[in-house]
Amino acid sequence: MRSPKESWFAISRQLSPGRAAVLTAWSFLLPLSIWCVVSYVPFIWHPDVKLEVGSTGATVYTAGDHVGKDYFPTLLAGARDENAGIAEAAAAGEPIKGSSRDNVKLLRMVLPIAISNGVLTPADDTNDAAIYGVWRRLATGDLVMSSPALSEENLSVIRDNWAIMSAISETYDKSALEKQKLLSLIPQGKPANPVYLPAPHEVLIQGYKSWTEEPAEGRSSMGERLRSSIIVVFGGFLLAALVSLPLGIVAGSYDFFSKLTEPFLDFFRYMPAPSFATLLVAIFGAHQSPKLALVFIGTLPHLCLMITKTTRMLDPSLLEAAQTLGSKRFHLLRKVVVPGIVPAVYNDLRIALGWAWTWLVIAELIGVKSGLTEVIDTQGTRRNFDQVFPVIFLIGIIGFATDQFLAWLRPKLFRWTEPKAPGLMGRWFGGVQNWFEPVLVAYRKG
Amino acid sequence: MSTVLELPSYLKQSPEVAARLARLKARPVELEVKGLTKRFMTPDGGTVTALKEINLSVHRREFMSVLGASGCGKSTFVRIVAGLETPTEGEVLLGGKAIRGPGPDRGMVFQGYTLFPWLSVKQNVMFGLEACGSSPTGAESDALQWIDLVGLAKFADAYPHQLSGGMKQRVAIARALANQPPVMLMDEPYGALDPQTRGQMQSYLLQIWENVDVTILFITHDLDEAIYLSDRILVLSPNPGQVLEIVEVPLSHPRSPEQFLSPEFLATKQRIEELIHPNKHASDDKLPMIRLTKVGDDVN
Ligand SMILES: Nc1ncnc2c1ncn2[C@@H]1O[C@H](COP(=O)(O)OP(=O)(O)OP(=O)(O)O)[C@@H](O)[C@H]1O
Ligand SMILES: [Mg+2]
Repeated sequence: MRSPKESWFAISRQLSPGRAAVLTAWSFLLPLSIWCVVSYVPFIWHPDVKLEVGSTGATVYTAGDHVGKDYFPTLLAGARDENAGIAEAAAAGEPIKGSSRDNVKLLRMVLPIAISNGVLTPADDTNDAAIYGVWRRLATGDLVMSSPALSEENLSVIRDNWAIMSAISETYDKSALEKQKLLSLIPQGKPANPVYLPAPHEVLIQGYKSWTEEPAEGRSSMGERLRSSIIVVFGGFLLAALVSLPLGIVAGSYDFFSKLTEPFLDFFRYMPAPSFATLLVAIFGAHQSPKLALVFIGTLPHLCLMITKTTRMLDPSLLEAAQTLGSKRFHLLRKVVVPGIVPAVYNDLRIALGWAWTWLVIAELIGVKSGLTEVIDTQGTRRNFDQVFPVIFLIGIIGFATDQFLAWLRPKLFRWTEPKAPGLMGRWFGGVQNWFEPVLVAYRKG
Repeated sequence: MSTVLELPSYLKQSPEVAARLARLKARPVELEVKGLTKRFMTPDGGTVTALKEINLSVHRREFMSVLGASGCGKSTFVRIVAGLETPTEGEVLLGGKAIRGPGPDRGMVFQGYTLFPWLSVKQNVMFGLEACGSSPTGAESDALQWIDLVGLAKFADAYPHQLSGGMKQRVAIARALANQPPVMLMDEPYGALDPQTRGQMQSYLLQIWENVDVTILFITHDLDEAIYLSDRILVLSPNPGQVLEIVEVPLSHPRSPEQFLSPEFLATKQRIEELIHPNKHASDDKLPMIRLTKVGDDVN
């Protein structure tokens, strides 16, 4: 342990493990807290208004829609003007005749707010009798909404409308609704960030829901999606590794194979893997196989070239020493080249696994969309970004955790490399070491 | 070095030394180098002659050193003998047969330790035995004996990164000897060691050599080391590497560190220095004395 007086900024010096852990935690906390501040401090950004009550009339918005902060006053003014016209006509004794269709639409405007207050359920969307009842209870003060609350302005609109409606019928009667045009509710809403930046809690809630709620009929659950994505990533990656390892090792060891393979691979890697998408679908069908193949061809050339380079970097004096000890050809490959490069190749494979995750997103979009990416694609198109972020984070977390796990495992597998102080994640994995200690012991013996 | 002492000629050998050298020369020639020349291509298309027309015969169980300044082609020479480099002209014969490529009949100890870092000490020593077809159990018991010989029995299961430089070099020697090669090549094996460890390692090497039937070709740029260890010393000139002289060391056996101060030792050393730096004093005067001003404080 270093003395606590050591500077935090000593050039090219390692910080103590404790300090390193603190900074590792901060590297996650900083972006997270920026996200929280932008989301929860209303005056920081919030360029939109998220509607709690929508608008009918010339431009239709439903509750939950975002409108620009600048445009919101125009929307309000439009609704107020319209109501003023209706009220004026009524005061002059010549009320404007309504259409039952428009009036029913207007009545249904309270539905979203009633749902979020727990008064009605989404299944009540055409249950106009129940909605009529809500209007009555609101007008008489029987029912007070709180989350969110209705503005005073809207409550007075409700009372005025109810005065007209109750004069005709206390209970819902569609034909009676056409007597007189009702006042429209005034749009109301809260400052909000654009839809593409949901707040942390919304992402958490949606993430939790997506895992706990039963999927719709014929759709896959998140667990099934995750499994299918993992099969594509690891399947494609393992295939690529299986081909690259022998190819890279012989190409790195023998110039003959290097000259025979490297130029083509160098060319091949400049053809973007996704450009083969349609071809792969034509060859392998539309389901998992072309996706695996895309991850495979996206990973293969780079991995191959990287392993070749790693093999070439093996200390040549080790090969010379082995030769003066009588080692030749295959023995030399198996007993010197392979063990000599294994720790470096292990790192190459870790990097390649990262690429495989990158290709996943493109792979799952080809043919029949599937896996985690399908959620990103469909929900993103519907602008439900609070459902998109949990999936993006999930991919990130799995990739990161796998990589950290492999990093932590490395010194255990290759004991002859100089040990390095474990990082925060490494120490955490140290805690879960117990349950696979037997495997490690077996490996070391074998 | 000015001759304050009255040194004998380095050519003067005591009767026992002369008899020993005569016995050595009567033994069969183990390693023979004939008209060896090596030229390298330079990047600009020219050639450098690293070695020029080297002829040498090393007899069985002789300790032969190759001495020369840095860059005079010592490594190139030993690498050609090992088969890791091909000669441009000439040939190398081992036991009368021309060598082709590296092989287990010429063990080699490199300046860098070149131990396999993923193998324990024992496995490193077993490597050559297994490569040459020994059974694992046979290789293991052989290896343990060699490890014992270099005094590392306690470290048989340690990994190279846990050993000091001197220990690593001992493992390298055990590994090279385990195949029982007729010839062991050593390229500045102690170059990276501190003087004290180096002295210990030299004594070790002599002890081992007394107990093992092996001919040693030992590369060094250290005069004392070469004289202390060798029967004969091949002195190379730089640019191109050519044989200046093959010096017979007039020291008796067994060698001991006291001999460093004996008149024979000093005479040999003086002779080799003359060979390597023929105009030493003349060139000393030409040292560029760049502008220096006396410090002029009260110390002087
Ligand atoms: N592969 C090569 N290509 C070109 N030139 C080379 C090569 N190997 C060695 N040389 C040249 O041959 C000469 C002898 O080199 P060598 O390494 O044999 O010297 P050395 O006596 O072992 O030096 P040192 O004591 O520093 O190890 C040098 O001038 C070097 O530049
Ligand atoms: Mg050298």
